Amino acid sequence: MKAKFIMILSLIIVVIITAGFKMYDQENPWPVPDKFKNMKNPVNADAESLKTGKALWAKHCQSCHGKTGLGDGSKAAQLKTDPGNFSAADFHKQTDGSIFYKTSEGRDDMPGFKKKIPDQDEIWSIVNFVRTLKK
Amino acid sequence: MKHIHTIGKLLKLLTLMPFILLSSEALFAQDSTAVETPEVTEEEAVEENTAPARKYVKNTFESIWLIDNQTVMVPIKGTFEMDILHRFGTVDNGYKDFYGLFASSNIRLGFNYSLTGRLMTGVAITKSNMTWEGYVKYAILTQTRGNEYPVSLTWYSNMAVETRLKENYIHASDRFSYFHQLLIARKINDRISVQVAPSLTHMNFVYGQFVDSFIEKSGKIRERKHDHLAVSVAGRFRIKEGMYILANYDQPLTRHKTGNPHPNLSLGLEVTTSSHAFQIFMGNYYFMTPQRNNYYNQNNYRDQQFLIGFNITRLWNF
Repeated sequence: MKAKFIMILSLIIVVIITAGFKMYDQENPWPVPDKFKNMKNPVNADAESLKTGKALWAKHCQSCHGKTGLGDGSKAAQLKTDPGNFSAADFHKQTDGSIFYKTSEGRDDMPGFKKKIPDQDEIWSIVNFVRTLKK
Repeated sequence: MKHIHTIGKLLKLLTLMPFILLSSEALFAQDSTAVETPEVTEEEAVEENTAPARKYVKNTFESIWLIDNQTVMVPIKGTFEMDILHRFGTVDNGYKDFYGLFASSNIRLGFNYSLTGRLMTGVAITKSNMTWEGYVKYAILTQTRGNEYPVSLTWYSNMAVETRLKENYIHASDRFSYFHQLLIARKINDRISVQVAPSLTHMNFVYGQFVDSFIEKSGKIRERKHDHLAVSVAGRFRIKEGMYILANYDQPLTRHKTGNPHPNLSLGLEVTTSSHAFQIFMGNYYFMTPQRNNYYNQNNYRDQQFLIGFNITRLWNF
């Protein structure tokens, strides 16, 4: 009886937390200006770009987003906002320009990287690498 | 005699070098902005009738520090950096002071700011002799991918002033010392970077100089020189993204009659993140003020007089 109660309670907590994140995402959509949304990625996703993107990902992104983009980095537990799941098909529905904009500008816990990575081609290389995380 | 005159001229020129570099910042402005200009392809360049932008080699080193030496790196424009450097005692006393960890340690706090992508300036204070430093670092050349520039070239200069009680000095000028270093580095491949750095130390006061003056009257030469040349050879090996092995060797070149400094041999591990670099290592240098390290190091690696140290840097971008 007690075990059943704990199971149901755990389930309720999981549902509340998940719904909370979902509601936060829905209530706080991240608008991307059309200029960026329609921006063409000027950097080819060749081996050189992916290597650059991977190195920058390991240095700047991995601690929150995790090694494979699942949002399970070592700092993820301390974040107030959900770092997202970059392997999900939903994430990859957005354009390269949208990912570029979000990486450059940041929001809430997500820092903007346009000052730390002043070379825009390097941010585009991160976008190219992020595309490889799709499952 | 003629040689001494020529060397004197050269030393004066080296002392003036940082000021020459600072005044030439405007001349190099074209290059310094090129670092931050988005690259264009050759086809685009032909269309725009301009030469293709240089592709610079990036991340030759991940930090401005390579154990006890500077690297060619100048953080990007607008970066504010705080450094905490720590050196414990030598390990040769064994368990008595827990391999130096409980011995008297030396600490250095440093703060620097990148005024441009090529020019960094900062101040630091070190516990040993309460030494304040002001320093400038200027990236003269950056290695390019096409080997147009096969190496990166950076100049580093500092002026240090000891702020202990005046009873410790005869003249106010005895508190001052200077250090100049030319850093030459090449990123050989994604895993290996190497650096060679000749340096010049000038000490206004050297131990024994007043005794020397007395000796000079009897026709003998000074025992220690005020200027001291040395060279550092260092390298970095990438184990994986964000983790590196560091190695460094400092060789004194100037020979003094007494109290010659010992070379420094050091080996360490570096871990970097977006805003931090953490280095932990073993080496012989204790002082952290580079001129005092090069001029006064008495820890001898042949006698296992190694000490444990660490460097932590924190970056903020404005």
